Amino acid sequence: MDCIITIDIGTSAVRIFAFEMNGTAIGFAKGSYPTFHTEPIYSEQDPEQVFITVLYVLKNFLTEKINAKKYKVAAICFSAAMHSVLPVDKNGVPLGNAITWADNRGKQEADDLKKLPMAKTIYDATGTPIHPMSPLIKIAWIKRHDKERFSKTDKFIAIKNYIIQQLTGECVIDYSLASATGLFNIHKLQWDDDALAYAGISADKLPAAVPVFYSSLQLRREYQVSLGLPKKTKIIIGASDGCMATLGAGVWGEGKATITIEQSGAVRVAGNKVIRDSKQRFFNYLLTEGYYVSGGPTNNGGVIFEWFAKQFGVFNEAYGIDDSIHRLIKDAMQAPPGSDGLLFLPYLLGERAPLWNANARGAYFGINIKHEQKHFIRATLEGILYEIYSIGKILEEHRAFSTLSINGSFAAYPLWAQIIADMFGKPVSVNNSYDSIGTGALLLSQTEMGLYRNLEDAAKTVSLQASYEPNKNDHQVYMRYFSVFEKLSHKLKDEFEEIALLQNV
Amino acid sequence: MSQFFLQQQKSAELNPFPHVIELACQKIQHIQFNSFALRQSSRLQIFYINEGRFEWIINGKAFTLYPGDTAVILPQQEFGSDKSFLDLGIISWIALAPLQFTVAGDLSLGTWSGLPKNETRSIGKLLSLNQVSVLSKLEAAGHILQCMQKEMAEQEIGYTVRVNQLIDELLITIVRHLTRQNNLQRDFPQSFMQLEQSLRSNLDHQWLVEEMAVMVGLGTTAFTEKVKNYTGFSPLHYLINIRIAEAIKLLKNSSKQVTDIALETGFYSSQHFSTTFKKLTGYTPRQFRTNNSKKI
Repeated sequence: MDCIITIDIGTSAVRIFAFEMNGTAIGFAKGSYPTFHTEPIYSEQDPEQVFITVLYVLKNFLTEKINAKKYKVAAICFSAAMHSVLPVDKNGVPLGNAITWADNRGKQEADDLKKLPMAKTIYDATGTPIHPMSPLIKIAWIKRHDKERFSKTDKFIAIKNYIIQQLTGECVIDYSLASATGLFNIHKLQWDDDALAYAGISADKLPAAVPVFYSSLQLRREYQVSLGLPKKTKIIIGASDGCMATLGAGVWGEGKATITIEQSGAVRVAGNKVIRDSKQRFFNYLLTEGYYVSGGPTNNGGVIFEWFAKQFGVFNEAYGIDDSIHRLIKDAMQAPPGSDGLLFLPYLLGERAPLWNANARGAYFGINIKHEQKHFIRATLEGILYEIYSIGKILEEHRAFSTLSINGSFAAYPLWAQIIADMFGKPVSVNNSYDSIGTGALLLSQTEMGLYRNLEDAAKTVSLQASYEPNKNDHQVYMRYFSVFEKLSHKLKDEFEEIALLQNV
Repeated sequence: MSQFFLQQQKSAELNPFPHVIELACQKIQHIQFNSFALRQSSRLQIFYINEGRFEWIINGKAFTLYPGDTAVILPQQEFGSDKSFLDLGIISWIALAPLQFTVAGDLSLGTWSGLPKNETRSIGKLLSLNQVSVLSKLEAAGHILQCMQKEMAEQEIGYTVRVNQLIDELLITIVRHLTRQNNLQRDFPQSFMQLEQSLRSNLDHQWLVEEMAVMVGLGTTAFTEKVKNYTGFSPLHYLINIRIAEAIKLLKNSSKQVTDIALETGFYSSQHFSTTFKKLTGYTPRQFRTNNSKKI
């Protein structure tokens, strides 16, 4: 029987899924690789270790779950984390580690660009907010601070491009991933001259951009042998993880939005028009030609609740963080919605959307003598979700939506889902599929292979479950406190700067 | 607690214990200048503070020790006080001469110890990699030293066995405390990253799972399960990932011989390296190098 393999090269791990042609899941495997922080604001990965991990997991997965069960691989489709930069020399050999999205070394370069009038032109053309995460900024940083590496660089590619190049010998980038580089004109589908000029490179320093359905790739002979895959195995280049997750959540067209909460979080909508935000708070990434995924990312998702659990949770066994988190969520239920007026600003990691302020910091506010531990637990959780809501609220000024779907390991907790429904005052449904990125890649592959007429038809097949209905009273409680939350987040701007300076981060 | 001072070759009590160089409990009542200058230790020494406040320098770092604290001084570490004398108070200690304890952490205690070889190795590796010289609030160590002294003083039946068991017990207590102090047993990703770094900087060491486990403060079974969950790989397979990734870089970016690369990245022979490499990538290391040195 034929099957489709999806490979997601994520921030910390590769996740591989296999599906039968009708979409029935066959199996899953993952393998993680480390992120190095040689400086506190640096965030790097070893391209060779990522590659070897992908190869190792894929090989074992194919041997155990696919070839052993007589499945035949009809197609392999890729997705990957956005914004990574890997300089390679003329032989395609990496010049050091790849710089990941979480790296903030380009803060000065981003600030410099923001002050120029061309910032708005570049943002409008490329869809990527001006921020250190953007490859545009990272390349400008390398040019300014790592001249030797810059001069040796033949091409600036993404980790995904490197993996595919290793496997197939071909170095190309899909429109979707290209649209997250800050260098790609999402309207003209070519590298953007203004952005290239600011980065200080010419277009030939970047890989050729191809559609997400591009499939004229072929596995190198050695990998055909070692992986046990026939020569004609279709390799589909695919899209970015964010765009795949949106497609996999069934969000297509008007009226729908999706919320993802993993370590970080995001609120996204999709449509055939870009969102033009005068404050440049939202991204517009290409899912495919003429179709955009728009929204805002937050740094402070589940990672903040994990931080809380590590500091204040009960650990009955070594490293038992999952158990500790479960207990905390149970304890949070003992406090009423709104935590009796205890508020938490979750900006422990600075913030992207909607504040876009790397110096923002966390705070508990409104503590009175009656507040107990359970209030702090619930307030922490609510603070993370107020932040998600604040992104959604501004997003809705541009694009109305009436239903929400949620995915990601944290959003799946019923209490979290219910609070999201109550805050937004809209019904919330949970994605049926275990992993919406994998589902997105499956839908894209099925469309490429002619099983669906187009991605829109494919998106319609996504099934949702367990709807959480908003509670009107709780909605009002949350809205009263949210107004304070929002005001505080802006009012503290000067103090954020001051304290960040003192903390010397 | 009674004072005493046993020293190998001077005290007959230590004759059955050639590996114990000193065992003592001393009350320091007078300042004796030049009695405690900084110098290189030749033994594995464990000190326990019963009373007083001591300012010591161990391995280049200054520590202030209080009652309940335990200091561990490895062979070849510098140890002493920059005042060159011992502060007033009461301290107990034992100085051991292991059969072997290299700077790289290769430890072997001797036949007197009941610890299996691989666990002894893990203890040595952990002590030498962590370079944590002072364990705070480890009263258990003081208690064990006290029991040892009592056994020595009374020489009741079975005391030779008991003393050696107590030395093992002391080492186990210290190592367990050390891993907990290091990792706080909460943040596995963080502990795992620390382990990753140790693996990388000692890639040519023939790592055992026991050694890796002890560094994050877990038993081998719990450790293996945790690593599988977190990384998708068994600990040894994860280590192979790092080895191959480092080898790939050396193949691409250096002109080193394949055999040298194999040994440097922890494979025990170039044959072992080639087989592992080919199984995974489909290329032999030499083919891989040729294939990647020309323009793709």
